[in-house]
Parts: sequence; C-alpha cells; structure tokens
Amino acid sequence: MRPLKLVVSGPVGAGKTTFIGSLSEIPVVETDELASEDIGKERTTVALDFGLLTLDGVPIHLFGTPGQERFDFVWDILVEGALGLVLLVAGDNPRDFPKARHILEYLTSRHPVPFVVGVTRQDLPRVWTPEDVADYFGLPHEQVVGLNATSPTSSVLALIRMLELVTGEKWQGVW
Amino acid sequence: MSRQVELQEVIRQLRQAVPEVTGVMVASTDGLSLASDLPEAEAARTAAMAATALGLGKRIAQTSALGGLEEVVVRGQSGYLVVYSAGEKGVLAVGAPMGANLGLIHLEARQAAQKIAQILG
Repeated sequence: MRPLKLVVSGPVGAGKTTFIGSLSEIPVVETDELASEDIGKERTTVALDFGLLTLDGVPIHLFGTPGQERFDFVWDILVEGALGLVLLVAGDNPRDFPKARHILEYLTSRHPVPFVVGVTRQDLPRVWTPEDVADYFGLPHEQVVGLNATSPTSSVLALIRMLELVTGEKWQGVW
Repeated sequence: MSRQVELQEVIRQLRQAVPEVTGVMVASTDGLSLASDLPEAEAARTAAMAATALGLGKRIAQTSALGGLEEVVVRGQSGYLVVYSAGEKGVLAVGAPMGANLGLIHLEARQAAQKIAQILG
C-alpha cells in the first residue's frame, strides 16, 4: 500500500520532533544541532525529522521541519508531495501564534494541502485550548486538536484526526 | 580580540592560502552567520543552507556507518560549495569555481575549521 506522506511543521519549540518521536515505530532520523540562540532548549532541528508508523495497515511517513524562518527553503522541499500537514503550536506560547500563522500561509500558498492545527502542552495547567486557538486562527473547531506531544496515545489521536481530514473518512478503529 | 575579528582573520588566511576560493562562510550549527566575506543578503541564506547540509550529512554518515563526516560537497556545473564541521558549534562553508583544486581546499579548510572550533569553544 502506498505510504501517506505527512509533514509536521510549526514554530521553534512547538513539539515537532517530540511529536514524531512519540509516533514513530522506528528510531527517528533526527538532525538536531546545538542552538546558538536562547530558544528554551539545547538543540534544534536543522534539516528534518523522519519517522515511520503504520496505522491500520497504512504506512505513514512523517517529515518534521525546522521551525526557524531562515530554514524556509527546507519547508519547500519537505512539503512537496505531502498529502497533509500537521501544524503544531505550543499552547503555552501565544506569542508564537503569528509565526505559526506565517508558516501555515507560506506552506499552503505554495502547496495546497489539507491541514490540522495541533495545540501542544495540553498536559500543562494553564494553556490555550484548541477552541480558543481555532478562534484565533479563524478555523473551524474540528480542524484544531489539542495534544500532549510527549504522549504516544495523545499524538496518535491527533494524527487520526489529521488522517480523517485527508481521507475524508471517519476512523473506523476501536476506541 | 573579539570573536568576530578572530574569525575574519581565519577567513582571510584561508583565502590567502587558496586564492581561487570565491567565498567563505562561518556559521553556527543552527544556521546563523558568524563571519563571512559574502554580501549580507547572501550570507544569511548561505549560513542556513550550509547548516542544513552539514546536519543532514552528519546524519547520513552516522546512519550509513560511514565513519565521522569529513565534508559535504555540492558540485554544480559552474562551481562548488564545500561544507565542513568546525567543532560542535561551527560550520565552515567554502565556495570554489569549477576546476578548483579540491585537495588543496580540503587541506586548508580543515585547518581553518580546527582554528574556528577553538575560537567558538
């Protein structure tokens, strides 16, 4: 069966590499390097993350992008041929919402793909809800999901929502 | 001497050792220009791309059990861009014309990369 290519993008620190790490059945191919800027963590993706998983027999190829705008040429390369996009935003960092919006517009204007917005950090006590983020972006509530990127279960559920949008079909699996 | 000045000196020495080099970029491993002799607009773009190329090269070398990464060579019909690791924090990118003496460039650039690694600490 032909693999589904999904791209995971979003601002720095949104949880892209973590999300793919939680989902992937193989060790993730990461390209993390030391961050010279203060971005709240030691390392940052400079090329891509690559992960693989199979859901109900469907092979899914996950491509994570770097978050900084200077790597926009990589966004172009990675989103080529993608069937869907997961745009992650950290729910505890609304200052980055405009950056997320910019990435979304950049990607979807060049490669119109179905997308879902994933609001990470839902495990924290004070965090923007998916509904509030949907309203901020002017998106229907069904298109914005909340998740904890460190949790495989939470990440898979968010991915299923993405696949439902891409395929137009409701997931028939067991809850 | 400030770090910038030290890095510019390494760049100057490299260009003196290999006059056919067309441009030199010293960047951070996360794609920011630290010192270069490129025009500013080009510098920012080159720094990011060199960091991406090096990061990807390191991962390919590791995953394919090639040993430590030596350099990433991009060869176009009109010239080269060669990217070297300069310590844990640095990236050295060297531009050269078609027909350039890559052996000499590798030799001089690796020495420059070692100096850069020491400067960046």
